[in-house]
Amino acid sequence: MKLECNFEKLKNSIGQVEKVTGKNLTLPILSSILLIASGKTLKLRATNLSVGVEIEIPAKIEKEGVIAVSGSVLSNVFSNIFQTENIILEESENNIIIKTKKSKIKLKCQPYEDFPTIPVVSGDSFNIDSTKLVDGIKSVYYSSAVSDIKPEISSVYVYSNEDSLVFVSTDSFRLAEKKVKIKGIVDVSGILLPFKNIPEIIRIFGDIKGDLTVFFNKNQISIAFEGVYFTSRVIDGIFPDYKQIMPKENTTEAIILKQDLLSALKLSNIFSDKFNQLNLVIKPKEKVFEISSSNSIVGENNTTLDAALTGENVELSFNYKYFLDCLTSVNSDSLSLKLNQANRPMVISGVSDTSFTYLIMPMNR
Amino acid sequence: MINTKELWKNCLGQIENDVSKANFSTWFRNTCILKEDAGIIYIGVPNEFVRDWLKNKYHKLITKTIADFFDTMRAVEYSITKIEGIQEEVKNQNNASFINKELPLKDLYNINKEDNLNPRYKFDSFIVGSFNELAYAAAQAIIAKPGMSYNPFFVYGGTGLGKTHLIQGIGNSVKEKYPDKKVHYITLEKFATDLVNSFQFGNNKANSFKEKYRKYDLLIIDDIQFIGKMEKTQEELFHTFNTFYENNKQIVFSSDKHPNFIPGLEDRLKSRFAAGMIVDVSEPEYESRLAILKVKLQEFGINLDEEVVQYIASSIQGNIRELEGSLNTIICQYRLKNRPISLNEVKTLLKNNIKPKKGVVIKDIVKIIADFYNLEEAEIYEKTRRKEIVKARQVVMYILREDFNISYPLIGQKLGGKDHTTVIHSHLKIKSSIKTDASLVSELEQIRILFK
Repeated sequence: MKLECNFEKLKNSIGQVEKVTGKNLTLPILSSILLIASGKTLKLRATNLSVGVEIEIPAKIEKEGVIAVSGSVLSNVFSNIFQTENIILEESENNIIIKTKKSKIKLKCQPYEDFPTIPVVSGDSFNIDSTKLVDGIKSVYYSSAVSDIKPEISSVYVYSNEDSLVFVSTDSFRLAEKKVKIKGIVDVSGILLPFKNIPEIIRIFGDIKGDLTVFFNKNQISIAFEGVYFTSRVIDGIFPDYKQIMPKENTTEAIILKQDLLSALKLSNIFSDKFNQLNLVIKPKEKVFEISSSNSIVGENNTTLDAALTGENVELSFNYKYFLDCLTSVNSDSLSLKLNQANRPMVISGVSDTSFTYLIMPMNR
Repeated sequence: MINTKELWKNCLGQIENDVSKANFSTWFRNTCILKEDAGIIYIGVPNEFVRDWLKNKYHKLITKTIADFFDTMRAVEYSITKIEGIQEEVKNQNNASFINKELPLKDLYNINKEDNLNPRYKFDSFIVGSFNELAYAAAQAIIAKPGMSYNPFFVYGGTGLGKTHLIQGIGNSVKEKYPDKKVHYITLEKFATDLVNSFQFGNNKANSFKEKYRKYDLLIIDDIQFIGKMEKTQEELFHTFNTFYENNKQIVFSSDKHPNFIPGLEDRLKSRFAAGMIVDVSEPEYESRLAILKVKLQEFGINLDEEVVQYIASSIQGNIRELEGSLNTIICQYRLKNRPISLNEVKTLLKNNIKPKKGVVIKDIVKIIADFYNLEEAEIYEKTRRKEIVKARQVVMYILREDFNISYPLIGQKLGGKDHTTVIHSHLKIKSSIKTDASLVSELEQIRILFK
């Protein structure tokens, strides 16, 4: 193998694929990146058997070939080379030689024969703008369960409804739902994207602007954009029919400025106990909206906020962290909090933005 | 039948010697043989990465190894399955879970959203007795050859007799046996709502409704008896039906009435239902009830005295759902008291659940029959010889005599002081008409359903 290519492009691609190389796996070859030089392109491939990524960049190939190099070494090398000109890669006797204007680096290669292929997904497909996909996922994924005990909720659930693609996550204490309108949507009956693979999707497609092509079937999903191909396994399971727990009515409603709430929550953070408990008191008649938290070692705080209130008095406790998590996902200056009495979830949504809904269960006192 | 577990264990033992340890534990751990069908071995793998790799890299080795142990093997196929017990170690839940309440999601897991089937309904837990053996046998035939043996399959019977269990059981078994077949269970109500929704969104959606249902290989529609007044739904069902039937795809219906007695059902649908197989599920007899109770007790892992079980079986008649309900009451008591329940206690517990034998109220029967013939109740008692009234009156007498065994004089007396010979005459007249008049027979059947 011998080739010449743009340094920046190669560096970025290595940075992208290196993150998915397998760590702590029984198969050592998975910690490497596979470089395939053929035709007019250089392909970089990495997989940990849950996610697979392939990035193709243009290159001047003098001699075709395939090699596998340790991902972490390669990315370390590239993050410490400073130059902007083209770079030359050349294979010689199980080594790869990286030549820049000022340096010459020799790296050991791994036997590439054991490097697995990554699945090409066949099935239904749809197109989606990358910002919409990333926005949808980003708006909800922090709510999914981290542990693997229930794989079906350790995921982001994606399905189509009327003219939107709906993203949902829950860890059974809170739930986030985001609807993203898409033109010419196809019927998606439900895809469970594993939570662990979500950061990769955001990282790889977060910087891309353009239409992505998504292929999916009940075992696997792939997302492609020009030279980038991403594939992830899909969880085989059934997401709970969460619509049934969405409260249909409420006894108390508060409209409040997002910025006010954010500052109050950050203040409460200092005084919260190990359960992150935050007390919320709403008394519509007296126009009281009060947030308080206390910690036996640090002290306590009480903050009242200006809010438009209707309904009955209510006094509940929440995990402030759950509160804080959702605020960045609401594209609206003011929030609406809809509450019921104890044991029923609180519903948070933007006043001018109905695409996002968030549920939090109160704490036991 | 070969022992696939044993076979795969042997094969893995062999393969382990041929590949490196790292490769073996990455690619072959968590695999199994799903089934063997006519020489084709289906290997279950956890995901597509593994499937592709086994196919590309190890296919030869696997084929050769299996052939060594199993000489009638013809081919190896790979399919992705959910393999239990490979989840990573259970991590400690964070502290929050102790104090935080959970969203009530727990109960919502069971039903598979794609096909709406409840995995609880399996044939393993289905009790077969003389009351449902025909339906069961037909169901088995359908599972063996979906779309070929009895299409459509129409089950009817009273409430709580296991219709839903039977048809969902068909769905679950077909799904298990033919993983590539698309199964869909839906209640008629949902089907109709879907249709209405599709109209709301105009032409485009109306077509997607058609496509949605026609892509399935097995369609199960529950509680079809409500279709009577839904004309548009009938039309859509008719077209869906034709598509399924032409393509030899199986359709299963359930209803609480025979299709002939579903009011408002169009003839073209009636005749289509009759084209396949119509079976009824009747009430379980004593032995079946006993068997059902025993299976349920086993599920709960509870032992009750034989005497007690027999008592429950003999005292709760008819509906299986009621039988289960009574049993649940007893099990609840059992758990509460933590000791076996005596027969006397059971008797007091079940006092409320046992329906007293219905006393016949002649007036009610007259009312039902009068309603059926669109007459006023009072007209039956009148002294008139108008033809339609005479007929209704005769039917009343016939039914009272045949079904409720009331004496001729009493019937006469109750129906406006008729002589007992009049009643005998009416009885005989209807009895003989039945032999020649088919419409009368169906009228009588419908009336009898109304009594239930």
